[in-house]
Amino acid sequence: MAIIAAFKHPDSVSALDGYDPREFFCELLGADKQPNQLVAPLWHSLQTSDLGLLRQRAADAERELFNLGITFTVYTDKDAIDRILPFDVIPRVLSATAWATIESGVIQRVKALNLFLHDVYHDRKILKDGVVPADLVLKNSCYRPEMIGVDLPCGTYIHINGTDIVRDRAGEFLVLEDNGRSPSGVSYVVENRHLMQRAFPDLMQGLKVRPVSDYGERLLIKLREVAPPGVDNPCVVLLSPGIYNSAYFEHVFLAREMGVPLVEGRDLIVENDRVYAYTIGGLEPVDVIYRRINDDFLDPEAFNPTSMLGVPGLLRAARQGRVTLANAIGTGVADDKAVYAFVPRIIKYYLDEDPILANVQTHICGEPDGLAYTLAHLDRLVLKPVGESGGYGIVVGPKSTKAELADAADKLRADPANFISQPMIDLSVTPTLTETGAQPRHVDLRPYAITGRDTWVLPGGLTRVALKEGSIIVNSSQGGGTKDTWVLVDNT
Amino acid sequence: MRLLSRNAECLFWLARYLERVASLARIVEMQSSFGGYDRDRGWNWLLTLHTDEARFRERFEPAADTIIAFYLTDVANPGSIRSSTRWARENARALRPFIPLEMWAQLNVFHSMIERVNAEDIRLSQLPRTCAQIRAGCLAQIGIAESTLYRDEGYEFFKLGLMIERADQTSRLLDVKFAQNATTGASTDQSDDFVFWSTILRTAAAYQVFHRLEPAGADAQRVARFLVFNPSHPRAIGFCVRSMTDALEMLRRGFGLHTTNVCLEACEVLTEGLHTAARDPALHLRLHEFNDWVQQSLIGLTAEIDNAFFRKRMPALAAESTDAPIGSKSPPDVAPVSQSQKQTQTQTQDQKQS
Repeated sequence: MAIIAAFKHPDSVSALDGYDPREFFCELLGADKQPNQLVAPLWHSLQTSDLGLLRQRAADAERELFNLGITFTVYTDKDAIDRILPFDVIPRVLSATAWATIESGVIQRVKALNLFLHDVYHDRKILKDGVVPADLVLKNSCYRPEMIGVDLPCGTYIHINGTDIVRDRAGEFLVLEDNGRSPSGVSYVVENRHLMQRAFPDLMQGLKVRPVSDYGERLLIKLREVAPPGVDNPCVVLLSPGIYNSAYFEHVFLAREMGVPLVEGRDLIVENDRVYAYTIGGLEPVDVIYRRINDDFLDPEAFNPTSMLGVPGLLRAARQGRVTLANAIGTGVADDKAVYAFVPRIIKYYLDEDPILANVQTHICGEPDGLAYTLAHLDRLVLKPVGESGGYGIVVGPKSTKAELADAADKLRADPANFISQPMIDLSVTPTLTETGAQPRHVDLRPYAITGRDTWVLPGGLTRVALKEGSIIVNSSQGGGTKDTWVLVDNT
Repeated sequence: MRLLSRNAECLFWLARYLERVASLARIVEMQSSFGGYDRDRGWNWLLTLHTDEARFRERFEPAADTIIAFYLTDVANPGSIRSSTRWARENARALRPFIPLEMWAQLNVFHSMIERVNAEDIRLSQLPRTCAQIRAGCLAQIGIAESTLYRDEGYEFFKLGLMIERADQTSRLLDVKFAQNATTGASTDQSDDFVFWSTILRTAAAYQVFHRLEPAGADAQRVARFLVFNPSHPRAIGFCVRSMTDALEMLRRGFGLHTTNVCLEACEVLTEGLHTAARDPALHLRLHEFNDWVQQSLIGLTAEIDNAFFRKRMPALAAESTDAPIGSKSPPDVAPVSQSQKQTQTQTQDQKQS
């Protein structure tokens, strides 16, 4: 430390002056709270960076994100406002060892969930054996009886998966949530890296970091693997709700990186259970659709009849195996917050393996024991509605007032099956640039796994950071930002 | 896969909106710099030129500042620079996976600039500067497209949109005198002519080249003939029509799109019409009628392009599906565009915005 500090100009304030992760696990310093051999070059770069200059460069970088339109759109009554996802310049670093655990754990989990979905829509062995309660699946609002008996290429239901992972005080990785419907955010992983390479090449010096920019190519390979049988040169498209969707940038990004057309529902038509796109030369067949439209809006003929976003007849074509949808219809029963609690048992059931990544301990309020425990310990638990996403409706017990807790208890008693509870996890922290220099801020991690015949995991993933001091809610809708995530190539 | 119909349509309209913004900025810049002494009434002809009097008077009293605001920043006017820029950007957003990142980034920054234009920027003293900035922004976008856009079918649709809009705008520019006379009562002051037609040439970026080629100087007849027939000045109608023909030929022969034939026929009608007019020594006396015909023909051509490429009526290419009629489900949003129907610029605009 003393040697590193000697590089500093005596008059400048460095970004890392006074950084103290306190009782939390620090992603950069590790358990012993000292910059180890692996991250020394980064630590040194930050230590010798002038705070003012770093902040100025960070502001330039954010302006560039805005100019490039790497934005999401927030709609109010009057205006459509383009916002960037706040970007923090200090990367989150994962060692090769840590990454190996995450990677194998995610692959194992996705494999089990795909087997689970196939079973649910075919023989239902796991339900008959009583490992997962039948009601939890068959009465789930995301369960799609239309998919019963439908065989999918490679048996893959979840082609694109995002696993939300946190790290506790001891530095152990825990899965918080599976996202097997239409997980978003991967575009930020790649764009954040490009931004770092353009704007902060000095911070990367001396470190070998695994690349992320081949995500699009890899995704296209996986999507081509799951084309309907007999199609040699499949036409892959990305189906988006259109330019008014808040995640439109990501759809653009994915289509661009894969080099495939970005289509909207109105560009497609189903004739004789075959999907076609309208082109300037007439109709052309479509074989694989990476769809970023939820099940409900995908096919007005089968689901929500008022949907203007979908394509009438799409479900028919998918059921006939004439088109592959990624992700498949009906994956919502596998990433439900209530089913989540059973995933360790699902892994054991299909793979006869112990989970590589543990779950956060979860109390299912739909079960009497879980409800009683949750009501008794509400002030120490995090209460989550099972049907919500984006961090909405979450009650963080230790940070709530008595009135808020009483209100939460009322809601819980009124509809217990709608909730799960988990102990409060002291999320890990990592240095994050603030007005007063680098401060510890809580982070999570969402690695992206793509599956065709087998599974590939993008090294790293999206690190979301709660920018507010002390906050543990990392969602962008609740004041969260993102960081570049660096997976180191080797451990030496 | 071939270019999506929707993307082709977006490229066409992206170019049209850009050219429309640039042309409007040119005309406003012209009036602000060479507008003369009648400060308020001097601007009324802009409303006549764009057939906007009725819509304008519903909300404003005619005066320099209200007319300027109407054409630059008024979002309730679909033909304003701000509205057209928004539509250009919406089209570009839909094209983001298709167009080079540099095109999108410049347009995005340009759009932010237009959104920030405020009352101060459109005061008469600031107006020429603001208009010059807007013009430069559009030119930058068109230049980036020229330098980076891949030369496939998409580029030809961009070029078609650009050339159709530019021909339309140049014919409007040639109608300024008519609009001014209609607003102020017939002008009798012939001494102004040289100044006026020189101004028109400047607005069409043709002042220097015109004087290089026409030692006799600027008058109504020579300027009109130059801006209508010249095959080499990029803002002359003749040049634009030839470029449209080239683009359509490229779509038909280079890219094998046989539905181009009807569009080429519509384009030939324009070319023939120009030939006929070229033999008319008194064209400058019938200029308004001629301009009207040009604008109607361009609306007709646009309708043919729309019909041939952007609408969803084509049979499937795939052999397996020819046993069932494709496209029997005509989408409800398709309103046939009648060629004979007299349409103002604004009406055409509204159609693309719905």
